[in-house]
Amino acid sequence: MSDPTRSQIAKKIASADQVDVLRSLRDQMHEQMKALLPARPVEQLNEQLNELHDAIISKAVALSEAEMARSGKGSPPVPYAYVLFGSGGRKEQTLSSDQDSGVVYADPEGGNQEEIALYFQQLCKLIVKHLIEIGYPPCEGNVLSDNPDWCLSLSGWGQKLEGWFREPAWESVRYLLIIADGRRVYGDERLVDALKDMFYTDTLSHPVIIKRMIENTMRHKVLVGIFGQLLKERYGEDAGSLDIKYGAYIPMVNSIRMLAIQSDIRATSTLERIRRLVEAGKLSAEDGKAYEQAFRFILRLRLMTTELAEDGVYANNGKLHSSKLTKEMTDELKSSLKQGKRLQRFVYRQAVGRLM
Amino acid sequence: MIKKTFLALGLMTILFPVVAFAAGPDGATLNMGLNSLWVMLAFILVLLMQGGFILLEAGSTRMKNAGHVAGKTIFTVGLAALIYWAIGYGIAFGGDSAIAKFIGWGDFFFNPATAADVAAGDNYPNGVFFLFQLAFAAISLSIAWGGFAERAKLASYIVFTIFFIGFIYPVVAHWIWGGGWLANDGAQDFAGSTVVHLTGAIAAFVATVLLKPRIGKFNKDGSANEILGHNQVYTALSVLLLWVGWFGFNAGSTVSIGDGFFTYVAFTTMLGAGAGGVAALLISWAVTGKADITAMLNGTLAGLVAITASCAFVDPWAAVVIGLVAGVLVFYSVKMFEKFKVDDPIYALSVHGMAGIWGTLANGIFATQALADKVGIGQGGLIDTGSWKQLWVQFESVVVCGAFVLVASFIVLGVMKMIMGFRVTEEQEIIGLDLSEHGAYGYPEQLKKPGQGIHG
Repeated sequence: MSDPTRSQIAKKIASADQVDVLRSLRDQMHEQMKALLPARPVEQLNEQLNELHDAIISKAVALSEAEMARSGKGSPPVPYAYVLFGSGGRKEQTLSSDQDSGVVYADPEGGNQEEIALYFQQLCKLIVKHLIEIGYPPCEGNVLSDNPDWCLSLSGWGQKLEGWFREPAWESVRYLLIIADGRRVYGDERLVDALKDMFYTDTLSHPVIIKRMIENTMRHKVLVGIFGQLLKERYGEDAGSLDIKYGAYIPMVNSIRMLAIQSDIRATSTLERIRRLVEAGKLSAEDGKAYEQAFRFILRLRLMTTELAEDGVYANNGKLHSSKLTKEMTDELKSSLKQGKRLQRFVYRQAVGRLM
Repeated sequence: MIKKTFLALGLMTILFPVVAFAAGPDGATLNMGLNSLWVMLAFILVLLMQGGFILLEAGSTRMKNAGHVAGKTIFTVGLAALIYWAIGYGIAFGGDSAIAKFIGWGDFFFNPATAADVAAGDNYPNGVFFLFQLAFAAISLSIAWGGFAERAKLASYIVFTIFFIGFIYPVVAHWIWGGGWLANDGAQDFAGSTVVHLTGAIAAFVATVLLKPRIGKFNKDGSANEILGHNQVYTALSVLLLWVGWFGFNAGSTVSIGDGFFTYVAFTTMLGAGAGGVAALLISWAVTGKADITAMLNGTLAGLVAITASCAFVDPWAAVVIGLVAGVLVFYSVKMFEKFKVDDPIYALSVHGMAGIWGTLANGIFATQALADKVGIGQGGLIDTGSWKQLWVQFESVVVCGAFVLVASFIVLGVMKMIMGFRVTEEQEIIGLDLSEHGAYGYPEQLKKPGQGIHG
């Protein structure tokens, strides 16, 4: 997409006044981005794509807010922030990412607390519904703003975090890792900052949590064998495919997130986290460069993964058939995966070493 | 004191008359008795291996066929006993005749002696030898069923049992063990890598090719789906049962106690099996990134199959090498058959076929002159003697026996397919053979009969 077209779409998004307009804009963006995939540098493409996703999502939130007002349910009683988790939080959405979201709203001073909670629940139901209409499938793990567990006041979030830290069971640790990627997409930035402050203060004062986080994230193995060969799917309709999402992308995301959490780095995008880690002296410039390069390549492959339009929503299984890769790409993937493996080992050793 | 001694002797006389009056059986009779017991025990062990095959085939296939798989094994072993008694044994071991080079002729409807004639040099009564040989034939048959699994009609099992036990298997057994022409050439196959395992596997190959793959095994684009067995614990237990039974299979093939050589045979068998499993687990781990249980179990069996021919002919280190190679071979063989779109539900072609070929050829490489002399068959292999002769003989026996079984099975199963049909219908295959062939599921609580789903 040339920049004029992009800003054109951005403008249209800004002036859209109905959900189905957003849907058709998303479809347009989808076609154009797909055509540009082979030509553009991936980082630029990724950035543009995520800006448009952000624009669509925040517009959908604004439209939902207006719809609430129109149907007589009033306007937001207190300031709030709509937060994206997962790939949206990391500014790494593909053409077909799902919704992972939550809401933080300011603690009500007086007023009917239950009524306020009810307002946000109704608002979020509307938002999630509209986003599905626009083509964002809901998160399978139910990390969604219309789930009351993920739509809380700031002090509600404080209690939630405390509970998770107190009992770091497998699921709590997973939620904590999700919080680390949270990013405001609409509303009051300060509320998210306050949430992040609580998260980082608590994490850094609970070293055992770091160990649990490592255990939780290191189970995704980088898909490269001991002979340097790629480990492909062997059976089923994806036979011969590479699981780019869980065998390449997620392991690197997890490793870099671990380093970032331990260094109190609040950036959410993986590439930005790597740069900050180098600045903070946690990674050598050379390593940082190698990891960045590997990650960029993996991002590109991730954008290439197959999409299936299931019931009109954009989805993909994160897998790429090896026949879609040229010889050069295969070689680059192998060296990228080796970097991923090296990074995983580094994170593991460094965390375990620190605890002992 | 003397009084006490006499009292003790008196008591001993009552308790152990033989010790007191050393006028019992002579050495030869004792020897015969011990041999008979050993061969009888070996027969029992090999027969028990059918339990292994029941668990192997049932565990590696789906729930809806479990009862059929288990039941048909028992049934065909029984049928095989009758056919082998009436015809098979006579073809394999039936006396001298003008055509003895190619098939035996005689001893049909076998009527064994009630006792061994020690004076005439019998090492054991011939009845026990019949039982032992019958158990081998039944093993070969059960291997062949691997190619039939989950889609052959019950009637085809009956027809094939008659021809396989009556003719195909006995001919190969005669060539190598019954004084036929390969035996005269000095082909070494101690306990049947070729005779039992390769023969069964080639019949399985012909069956699976004629039957075509199970519904859902391959996709339109040629990629394979994994049809997982319904119980991996069964499959693992089956390997243990087979492994234990294999000591009757290999060590029992000495058919004598003699100087205790059977223990050496058991020893090399153990090493081969262990090496096969270790190699298969490591290779699957290295290549696919996952330490695959099925591959490891197949590797253990492949090690056993391979060492079967060579267990009496090789040094311990060679037994380990033979097992290791078998473990790696079976892993790649499974992949190869899948690539050629041959559906091999219980991996019989790889485990018994490929490893059987390897084990037979391995004799030509690793057999030592000393052990070949001790067993009295053929000569040392390439490494010990530097001579290619034994390897050539081994190669010849694999090719000739393989080709014979291939052609004979193809004729039997091909004609059967034309006349009466070989495969169940699509609907029967989908609801499962338990229901279509026998009328009840092996796991009735887990599976609902069609039409019961809504009310059940």
